[in-house]
Amino acid sequence: MKDVLTTCVYCGCGCGVYLHEENGRVISSAPSKKHPVSRNNLCVKGWHLHDFIHHPDRLTQPLMRKNGKLVPVDWDEAFAFTASELARIRQERSGDAVGFLASAKCTNEENYLFQKFARAVLGTNNIDHCARL
Amino acid sequence: MAGLATTFGSGAMTNSINEIENAQVILVTGSNTTEAHPQVARRIFDAVDRGAKLIVIDPRKTLLAKRAHIHLAIRPGTDIPLLNTMMRIILDENLADDLFVEMRTENFHELRDMLFRLDCQEMAEIIGVPLEKIRAAAQIYGRAQKAVVCYCLGITQHICGTDTVQSIANLAMLSGNVEKEDTGVDPLRGQNNVQGACDMGGLPNVYPSYQRVDVDDFRLKFEKAWGVSLSGNPGLTVLEMTHGGKDGPVRAMFIMGENPLLSDPVQEKVRETLTNLEFLAVTDIFLTDTAELADVVFPAASFAEKTGTFTNSERRVQMVRRVIRPLGQSKTDADIIMELSRRLEYPMHYQSSAEVMEEIAMLAPVYGGMYHDRLEGSWGLQWPCWDREHDGTPFLHKYYFTRGRGRFVPASYQAPAELPDGDYPYLLSTGRVYHQYHTGTMSRKSTLLSREAGEALLQINPLDAGRLSVRNGDFLKMRSRRGEIKLRAELTDQVREGEVYTTFHFSEAPINLLTIAAQDGKSKCPEYKICAVSLEKRTEG
Amino acid sequence: MVLIMTNKYILKKDHLVPLLRQLGKEYQLVAPLENKHGDTLFTHIDNLDNCRVDLENQPQNSLKQFFFPQQEVLFRYRNQPGVSYEFEPAKSREDAVLYLGVRPCDLSAILYMDVVFLKDFKDPYYQKRRNNSVLVGLNCNTPFDNCFCNGTKSGPFIDYGFDLQLTDLGKYFLVESDRSRGEDILEKLHQFFELATEDDVKDQYQAYLESRGRFKRQVHVDLAMKNLAEGYVADGVWTELSERCQDCGGCAYICPTCVCFSIYDQQQSATEGERIRCWDACTFSGFTRMAGGHNPVDSSIRAIEQRFRHKLQFDVKKHGRPSCVGCGRCVEMCFGGTDIIRFINMACCEGM
Repeated sequence: MKDVLTTCVYCGCGCGVYLHEENGRVISSAPSKKHPVSRNNLCVKGWHLHDFIHHPDRLTQPLMRKNGKLVPVDWDEAFAFTASELARIRQERSGDAVGFLASAKCTNEENYLFQKFARAVLGTNNIDHCARL
Repeated sequence: MAGLATTFGSGAMTNSINEIENAQVILVTGSNTTEAHPQVARRIFDAVDRGAKLIVIDPRKTLLAKRAHIHLAIRPGTDIPLLNTMMRIILDENLADDLFVEMRTENFHELRDMLFRLDCQEMAEIIGVPLEKIRAAAQIYGRAQKAVVCYCLGITQHICGTDTVQSIANLAMLSGNVEKEDTGVDPLRGQNNVQGACDMGGLPNVYPSYQRVDVDDFRLKFEKAWGVSLSGNPGLTVLEMTHGGKDGPVRAMFIMGENPLLSDPVQEKVRETLTNLEFLAVTDIFLTDTAELADVVFPAASFAEKTGTFTNSERRVQMVRRVIRPLGQSKTDADIIMELSRRLEYPMHYQSSAEVMEEIAMLAPVYGGMYHDRLEGSWGLQWPCWDREHDGTPFLHKYYFTRGRGRFVPASYQAPAELPDGDYPYLLSTGRVYHQYHTGTMSRKSTLLSREAGEALLQINPLDAGRLSVRNGDFLKMRSRRGEIKLRAELTDQVREGEVYTTFHFSEAPINLLTIAAQDGKSKCPEYKICAVSLEKRTEG
Repeated sequence: MVLIMTNKYILKKDHLVPLLRQLGKEYQLVAPLENKHGDTLFTHIDNLDNCRVDLENQPQNSLKQFFFPQQEVLFRYRNQPGVSYEFEPAKSREDAVLYLGVRPCDLSAILYMDVVFLKDFKDPYYQKRRNNSVLVGLNCNTPFDNCFCNGTKSGPFIDYGFDLQLTDLGKYFLVESDRSRGEDILEKLHQFFELATEDDVKDQYQAYLESRGRFKRQVHVDLAMKNLAEGYVADGVWTELSERCQDCGGCAYICPTCVCFSIYDQQQSATEGERIRCWDACTFSGFTRMAGGHNPVDSSIRAIEQRFRHKLQFDVKKHGRPSCVGCGRCVEMCFGGTDIIRFINMACCEGM
């Protein structure tokens, strides 16, 4: 049972939100009073920030398309196939035949690693995200 | 954000969110602030309660517009004529800040020459607002000691978005309303970490901290740091990738936590592109419409399951903290990238996200002083933050613009790419609603949020609805030159006759089947705010 | 207020932590803790030596979430079509919880929740947690900026409803008990307590008088209640408030007495699922929308009206008290200034 201060994922305001965890489940969201943006309140989305975390539709295992359908596979198979496909296209064409979409919902660190992956590993600057959408 | 970068040298909010409540005049344009940025709207309401004047420029009568002292209900797409007319009035009435223009800006003569060729009355007719009302707004803004302009995607999602942003910057510089506390130009970012994704180089033309890939010094710096040779050619933008079609320039894509099938314009084109790729990998927390087309889907950990940072609209870098372990077998995106990188013989050895941030601080100057231990013990730091000693920057452009002098870049009216006509008589704008977020992958999972706003509604003026014999809740068939969807009508006087509005949150009513492929030449921002549609009542339900 | 002479005791401030350590052997402890970010929240104490109990500032949350969580699994269900339905009640915590530092407003709010959840229909989830609770109150010597419990008659001091109650007399706490569970603690841990003198009781009364003089706001709750009941509140009041409301629901969620909820089934698979109860707010339009789309509360104007009438008129009629305890939490947090103080001030201007 604990309250963890984190940052809301819903808009560019960046409210400080306490997520309340009990028995491994996040059961409530509440604003931080002293946080300079949230100042003790959240919008309706922020107050319901915990709702999607444990939703039964969450993906919990890797999927791969086999005979036209997405089926669960283990991580090793998903990684191996992805790595070999990217390597194949990089070799047959060039890294510029691969496009990367980074995410405004992921962390800075993940976006940094993602663009580093695109640029350093695939050798392409084909990386963008939905900044304009 | 290309517009602000050209004029000021930096494309971000010049103020902090909390400064807005101290402004004397707040001009809001192209932003449905109460629904899309509630915390900003709260500051605006507070400021108004304390006596600040509020000017709202919006074709729709939004909640904020109802509380405005002056609501300029312009015709969609006429922002540039309006801003130019306001500037002309400011010049005519000697409200320009001559000293500021002289000391801090350049290229003023070009703007002035353009403004003096302007016929204000003619402009007012294009804009659809009486000149006297525009004059009143210009006087209020021009006379303010401290004035803030907030704008959002209502400005940028037009073919002339960049030019409009530059015009806003022109207005602010002309009246000296920038470079001070509680004063400035504030683009409100739509998504939680859109600022960070840009800062981190999630863009085709720049490395982290906006260091251009086609400048050798920067490229060499990153080649040295990463130990590989890098391409100096700017890459493709999102629409160049997703609108490539069957024989597009990219043959494989790796998409991290995005849903372009719903968020990008002209859905059929995006679908054609994605389904014809040789390989598509998607990481996401849910099986989105895009993920359903993938060859490999990686289950990602949600924000509650990882540690890192987000950067908000006011450039504040703050901690995201792990609350629970990744659900099921899901992994953080960082772990997924690192493992793939290892298998492609470029091992990345990071023990923690703090270690990644150390590398960022080394390579991205504006993040130079961002370290997790500093962020842990504070409410975050606002970039630029040059080093460990630096306390961050609440407002930008103090003493000088990032690019040196602010540059006036005059712009003229460009008619939207597609306007209503006999076949498609209604003008459609798209945007967000309060209870939902982006393509709805997260917010629609909330039972209560979905109860409040569970499906796409088409806002339509009651008079138009009467002509179509449509009542509240009736289904409509909406068609554009590109596609057709059905959705329910919501009768409201928020929208004027001839104009309709809806959202892109709902995959059942994929509005981007209808939207136009036109985009801004500079920012590549799609024109989501204007396209022509026809409406018809659907009887079969 | 009349102070009834009961057995009152003295607890030295130095002995508070040692007392809590002893109580921690029998109870889970919850107290206002100032965390490393500087916010004060009612929090479970994991380690008494590694936390700062903050009895100076108002906790930003009330105790509502501890008795009535924002989201709670009521039970899990399994359906084997044609064979059986199985219901598995959610496991709830059995351990007794001691809540320290419960100010009169929050205590009064719990007494209101008791009325809702225990008076007619007995909510088993609430009842269990309530039966397992020990409330250690804290009288308020210094009301905070937005406090108006003097207007709602729920503070700044209270003389009922607690198990134990502390009054800060400077060097030490005066300790009172109102129920047997409090008596038990006084008896069992008697080494911490010594009998109070007549002077201590006089000091307590003095502290109460001084506290009454420290309210920063004048909020005429009684007048607003009267005007509401007599129909003096003009429609323009609701219209203006609704135009300010940004529909966040924050006022209801932060309110210690707002206990509206929604119940829904979250399907996990074709045959299994969970029934979940979650907080709701009467200002949300979906709260009153009926099947077929008709909404008896047909606009945000009426929703706002409903909210304030419920608190200051309907509950007064039904339960003899307003369902506002004057804690002030909803005031500065409101996005548009639609808060209850603004309403009361507006309602008081009518009919005066």
